[in-house]
Amino acid sequence: MTGAPMPGQGPSRAARLVVSLALFAIASTSVFMSQKDMGLARDELVYMNHGSRYADWWLDAASGEDGTLTAEAITRHFGGDSATAGNREHPPLMKTLFGLSERILHRGLGVTDRVSAYRLPSALMNALLIVLVYLFVAGLWGQGAGIIAALLTLCLPRAYFHAGLACFDAAVVTTWFATLYAYQRALRSRRWCLGLGVAFGLALATKHNALFLPGVLGLHYLWLSLERGLAMRDAGAERGGAGRYLRALWRGALALQPWGVPALVVLGPLVALALWPWLWFDTIAHVLDWVRFHFHHVHYNYEYLGRNWNAPPYPWHVPIVTTLFTVPVVTLLSAGVGAVALTMAGRGRIWAALVAPGRVRGAGAEPSTAPARLLVISALVAMAPFILGQAPIFGAEKHWAPAIPTLTIFAGVGVMVAARMATRAIIAAGLVGARAPILRLALSLLLSAGAVGAAAVETAAATPYALSHYNALAGGAPGGADLGMNRQFWGYAARGVLPYLNTLAPAPDAKPRPVYTHDASPAWSAYQRDGLLSPGLPDAGHERQGVARSDIALVIHERHFNRHDYLIWDSYGTVQPAYVLTFQGVPLVSVYVRPSKTR
Amino acid sequence: MRERHQPGDLIAFSPDWIDPVGRHHLGDLIPVAMAARMDDAPYATLWELSIRGSESTAARGRTLDWTATFGDVTVRRLVRAPAEIHTDFVADFARAKVTGRYASRPQVRLEEVGFRPRRCVRVEPRPDQTVTITYPAAKLGERLVGYVGLADIFTRRDIRAPGEFVVSVDGDERARVQVGVEDAGDDLGWIQFSFATEPGTTAAVTFAATALGEDARQRLICFAAQARTSAASDIEPTSEERAP
Repeated sequence: MTGAPMPGQGPSRAARLVVSLALFAIASTSVFMSQKDMGLARDELVYMNHGSRYADWWLDAASGEDGTLTAEAITRHFGGDSATAGNREHPPLMKTLFGLSERILHRGLGVTDRVSAYRLPSALMNALLIVLVYLFVAGLWGQGAGIIAALLTLCLPRAYFHAGLACFDAAVVTTWFATLYAYQRALRSRRWCLGLGVAFGLALATKHNALFLPGVLGLHYLWLSLERGLAMRDAGAERGGAGRYLRALWRGALALQPWGVPALVVLGPLVALALWPWLWFDTIAHVLDWVRFHFHHVHYNYEYLGRNWNAPPYPWHVPIVTTLFTVPVVTLLSAGVGAVALTMAGRGRIWAALVAPGRVRGAGAEPSTAPARLLVISALVAMAPFILGQAPIFGAEKHWAPAIPTLTIFAGVGVMVAARMATRAIIAAGLVGARAPILRLALSLLLSAGAVGAAAVETAAATPYALSHYNALAGGAPGGADLGMNRQFWGYAARGVLPYLNTLAPAPDAKPRPVYTHDASPAWSAYQRDGLLSPGLPDAGHERQGVARSDIALVIHERHFNRHDYLIWDSYGTVQPAYVLTFQGVPLVSVYVRPSKTR
Repeated sequence: MRERHQPGDLIAFSPDWIDPVGRHHLGDLIPVAMAARMDDAPYATLWELSIRGSESTAARGRTLDWTATFGDVTVRRLVRAPAEIHTDFVADFARAKVTGRYASRPQVRLEEVGFRPRRCVRVEPRPDQTVTITYPAAKLGERLVGYVGLADIFTRRDIRAPGEFVVSVDGDERARVQVGVEDAGDDLGWIQFSFATEPGTTAAVTFAATALGEDARQRLICFAAQARTSAASDIEPTSEERAP
């Protein structure tokens, strides 16, 4: 082989296209269908509402309506005086897509329900991630590893859940990974520098995690430059000292693809700016407001290893332990095998052949762009703010979600390496003849079916309550509860008690029965509007007054929400819930019905 | 269990997280006052329902009296000699004299303290002020046992300033406890204080709650205490009740 493999290369173009289309169809359809059973998360209602306003503005702008481009009109749709006015603390790309999707698919064509229309862009973005993972891996480490890595990326219970919501957490993984993909291509192609700039701009327009991407790419580029520069022919003749390294760095950087730098620094921000009208005036002030908001974010209560946390410093191990307890164990184990194999592949031909047979580089081959190293840096940078202990941890895995494809990609490689190792062992033991290709294919199919099947079953079992899911290492959801891990957030599990509540609904002409809904309050009218909840069960309002007004009361179980139980006991005079929704035996939502004597 | 249960028997579910499921099935046997109790010492009989081999902290110091297994659920009846209560300072709050500058008048409430339900006297001194609650002639037993903590997780999160709580008998300070939020972000919870008293006597017992510092707004200092003839656990805080 004469050249180092690249993402997006490898199998034939036709094979890549067919597999990509199949993966996209599987990923988008399965997530889109699954989200129909998922409750409304508190934050996504905010994004839906603002997304519709953003979409209205873009449609008005596209139709040339007068006054749309004025600062006043933009402020009305995208901003305002307070730090959260117009939801200006979050970039607009996904919200705009949510709004456009609802406008076109629900209100326009009427082909889907309102919530599903809002959520579709997330499902499609997640499907794009699955395809990009496949293309990245297949080009570097073979078709089999690519398909397995892609499917393991899809079969992550928590990520699968986020992919079904009208939020940004799935989409930023896609745009983050698209930036890594484009960067790898851009190291060899000036044309791909444009792709790099566009991908980074889309990431910036998706979520603030993208602000860390220059750190990922910068570290990798510097490392690679230094390595290249030192390896160049005349480097060995130079005198030592810091100067030698600086000169090597400069030489290496020029030998790589320096056009990626302006693409990242100039084109990326321009793309984000173009998509975010709020930045079209007072740009610096608005950007600083956006960043400042996240430096001063509220520290919500969050249970971790048996303690309620709401102030820094947080334990350094939060992202590591949470990842170890939420990613399927089979994926973690496979990733371990893949990581070892990829590390060793640079040191010996045997390991290199195990990682990518037929792709072992010969003398004079074009040097590697160190993709595995890029993935490791990506994961470390994505997790670093949470390891340092100052960043809020209330969103758990979704905060460092861009780190996770590194694991699933290593897992895809690991499954194939394990199959090849098993093949060699069986042949070496003389158990079969020399029919290695057939044996390797059979073992590859068996191992990949086992790995992907196990992860798929775990993901299906976690749906629609995946925020309460913990893997076998934690002991499942009950093990997670024993360990004092966070039960859930966003109040979405209230959806699961709606059928029971409907059995308590009054007759159409009878007096309504107000419900104390606490964390599900933002979703209540949406459930009623969408026909999931009787109109005779209105939201009773907040806190003690809300409880006092209510006939029925919910408690969505998180440790810091125990107080809602006690408010209800005090008012209802009983500690006995009438109904408890559980997931694998772990309570998610309790429903109390006021005894008539306490009215 | 329903056949054997007697009114006044305590019921505990273990691990803690199955509590809602347990109350769904047996909540009619658990009065609110029992669920929000100060501690377990006055209860002679404890019914413990557990899964996954878990044991309730309430079972410590008790003797196993009866056990049975129903599917995945293990039921144990455990007994001990109950503490005899001479004065319950929460139940007798109406007879207490309140002085000092408060933000809201002290009252008996059901509050969340350390993520548990507690029926307690809630005192909210103004910042940097002290509120005293005096019981002029409280009947005493062998010990005076009580607990104190800050109510409401959200005010604990948003305001980090501590409070202080001092107990005096006939003017002599007998216990001093600081109530607040640990640096790491978790709560000190429901903190036990306990000291010996002269059985069969009466005395003026004063509880003084102070919001420490000008920033100490909304320090919802909640306490419960009993003068009682003690059981062993009165001087052995459980894991959830850390000593100051």
